[in-house]
Amino acid sequence: MKLNFALPEKLMQHLSPSGGEEVIYCLPCDLDDDGNYQKSWYVAVTGKRLALLAPAGVLREYPIRDITDLRCDTMTGGGVLRAETAQGSQFVARFSMKYITRYAYLARGGLLLARGEPGRVESRERERVCEKCGRVMPGTNQCPRCNGKMAGFRRFWRLCKPFSLSLAVVSLFMLAGSGASLLIQYVQRLFIDDVLKPKTGTPGQVGAFFGVMLALTLSIIILNVIRYYYSVKLGARISMSLRERLYVKIQQLSLSFIQSRRPGELMNRVVSDTNEIRAFMENVFAGMFSTMVTMLGALVIMLAMNWKMTLLSVVFVPVVLVITRIWRKKIHRMFSMQWRKKDKLSNQLQDVISGMRVVKTFGKEIEETQRFDDLASQFYSVMRKNERFWATFWPMLTFLMGCGSYVVVLAGGGAVLGGGLTVGQLTQFMAYAGMLYGPLGWIANLPRSLMRMATCLDRVYDILDETTELYEAETPAEVVVKGHIALDDIVFGYKSYEPVLEHISMEVKKGEMIGLVGPSGAGKSTLINLIMRLYDVDQGKIMVDGKDIKELDPACYHNQMGVVLQETFLFSGTIFNNIRFSKPDATLEEVIAAAKSANAHDFICRLPDGYDTYVGEHGYKISGGERQRIAIARALLNDPKLLILDEATSNLDTESEYQIQRALERLTKGRTTFAIAHRLSTLKNADRLFVIDNHRIIESGTHNELIEKKGMYYRLVKAQLEMAKVAKTKEAAG
Amino acid sequence: MNENEVLVNEEREAEDNLEIRRITKDNAVFFSTPGGFIGMELDGKRYERVQVFRTFPFTAPEVYISVREPDWKAREIGLIENLNDLEKQTRERIEIQLNRRYFTPKIQRILDVKMEYGYAYFDVVTDRGPCKFTIPMSGSVARLSETRLIITDIDQNRFEVADLERLTSQELRKLDLFI
Repeated sequence: MKLNFALPEKLMQHLSPSGGEEVIYCLPCDLDDDGNYQKSWYVAVTGKRLALLAPAGVLREYPIRDITDLRCDTMTGGGVLRAETAQGSQFVARFSMKYITRYAYLARGGLLLARGEPGRVESRERERVCEKCGRVMPGTNQCPRCNGKMAGFRRFWRLCKPFSLSLAVVSLFMLAGSGASLLIQYVQRLFIDDVLKPKTGTPGQVGAFFGVMLALTLSIIILNVIRYYYSVKLGARISMSLRERLYVKIQQLSLSFIQSRRPGELMNRVVSDTNEIRAFMENVFAGMFSTMVTMLGALVIMLAMNWKMTLLSVVFVPVVLVITRIWRKKIHRMFSMQWRKKDKLSNQLQDVISGMRVVKTFGKEIEETQRFDDLASQFYSVMRKNERFWATFWPMLTFLMGCGSYVVVLAGGGAVLGGGLTVGQLTQFMAYAGMLYGPLGWIANLPRSLMRMATCLDRVYDILDETTELYEAETPAEVVVKGHIALDDIVFGYKSYEPVLEHISMEVKKGEMIGLVGPSGAGKSTLINLIMRLYDVDQGKIMVDGKDIKELDPACYHNQMGVVLQETFLFSGTIFNNIRFSKPDATLEEVIAAAKSANAHDFICRLPDGYDTYVGEHGYKISGGERQRIAIARALLNDPKLLILDEATSNLDTESEYQIQRALERLTKGRTTFAIAHRLSTLKNADRLFVIDNHRIIESGTHNELIEKKGMYYRLVKAQLEMAKVAKTKEAAG
Repeated sequence: MNENEVLVNEEREAEDNLEIRRITKDNAVFFSTPGGFIGMELDGKRYERVQVFRTFPFTAPEVYISVREPDWKAREIGLIENLNDLEKQTRERIEIQLNRRYFTPKIQRILDVKMEYGYAYFDVVTDRGPCKFTIPMSGSVARLSETRLIITDIDQNRFEVADLERLTSQELRKLDLFI
């Protein structure tokens, strides 16, 4: 998203920057203080000032160093930019929701400047609306409309290039098919003029013509079948290769890219968009050229035969095109209305049926019936109106579309009688005119199909062209991790206007177990994501055994890490395969040994299918505790040097927690471990604890040290004990 | 603060929330701050800045105005039962803040509605000036009553059609598809 709009010349004069002062962030401000729309108001942040500018002059301005806090407050339907200074809260500007995300970024960026901290805020979020044409972007970086037809064409070519041979074959068959359908009309003319009309033809001649025409018809059918076969094949192959490339690319992309999109969106791109491209290749592309070639051929021949009559019959082409367009719009409107009414009706029905108990207990049957009746009669009247319209106008429309042929009959009939034209020629001419008019409706829809295709292509290439966000080292080091981790003053936020971690430093010795404590949303999981290198830090450094984490080979690094999360994800497959996920070449015995250390072996043996039990989406349902133990076995199997436990023991009953606790003790022995837990008792084995609150480390030390300190950790422990006590007394009382 | 105090405090806060605390012209004074906000003095306690919220923004914008603390938690300080019971100047001060919080332009004229690929592009004149906005074709028009609509655009801006009957028949036809 753009955060530095160009300030109009006149406003720049009002601002009159001095001595190297530069506009760093500048956003349009579309509302004045009373909430009236303004066209050329701006909020600008320079290295020295924050200012609200209007054509009349500078309305408000604050020295940037005087600002202690800068906030974008979300209101209903708009937002307010508020600055805190020594004189209290300052109302800087208000704006509509259109710009609110940008103002959130501006507030963060301005605050960095005010505090004299380095760094500029950038937004990786997309523009939702095309700057040039104002259309909503279909989830792409560039507007497919404004991007120009050429770009779309180039993309299409890039897509088809690997399949150019198949493409050439398809085109060849298209041409041949068009040629044959044009030729057949010529043969028919010869048949009428030379055999039938003079009545001199022999049965042999009739047979010969029959043979030729049959052969031509058959060849047209065969050509079309082959053409269709190849285009289907081409479409399927193109969409398959796209799907594969998308899948590979999505796996390569960093989590931040994946998480900036809804899962459904990415699935749609892999499944529906590629499918749409396939459908285009099959239905539109295959027909497009052959139809055009046929039409063009027909037109050329018609012109050569009789240009006056051709012009007469062509006159109606634009008329028909216009009529079809209007008709389509009208029909679309009418039927979407009908569809909406129907939707409302079924919604109402669903409401009443699922809320039947409430309706009945409150005795509201009659009111609800009345409401349903009203909706039903509305639907009825819309439907009746639509059907009547359709029945009246559709025949008229078909008549209008056929007008060209009537003109040809009229003019041509005259010409035949006058001797200027033979009967055969007239037949041929009329057939060609039919070829010209037939596909017009289809052609009127062509721009729409092309646009849809371009949009799909855009969306697909949007992902394929995305660069991976994580820094890639030139020569990634494949090292054996020992387990010494150091964080040096790191700063990180998923969005650059919203820091999640600020100035975090810690040093963790090999084999140490670190507990991370703090309220939810404080940034514990984020810290772990950084240590796992799912994201790169914005500032500062993470060092693994003295090497910058960015210089390590990510795959190699991840291989030496074990992870147990709160919600263990099991892939569809057997328990055996799920455990072996971390080390695909593990032997049966290794897997059993890992399962034993994870206290999982016993319950697995009790399952009817043992290690071959199928789990996952449609598989055997296993409990949360069992899942966790499988996850621990998975983590144990590849003997990780670095262990991450993110709420590994929450949501478990006491018995399985005990089992898992024991398994975890075995797991963490001698391994550098980072553990997050809400239940603080889980962390009693930790060598050191870090308390994180409000994006920073506020306390650290051993359990005893922190208890003695009587700080936040102490309070948290006490609170949990109290809660446990309350729960117990309640149990006793109940 | 020791542990017990923390717990006691939390309990007290939870109970405080049950009570409706009224703010009237007798116990409170509202003042404008130099920075463009409002503050309040209630029973001798001074709040340098307060936020005001409507509890029934659509159906009863002038009653039960909730006065809240300025931070993001926005804890409620009290309720103003009816704005009209306050002194004129105080009411105006609060209304300025309310109008700033609830920005919902009223559509007066619909110049054009263009539909394309699942979105509708509106060109309208509102009581706050001319405006263009875009809505998705489905689910963006809510009907508050038979004649009153709230339209929410792709950026979550809201627009109100106060009375459908005051639109011309051409304008109504443009809205047809959404009602």
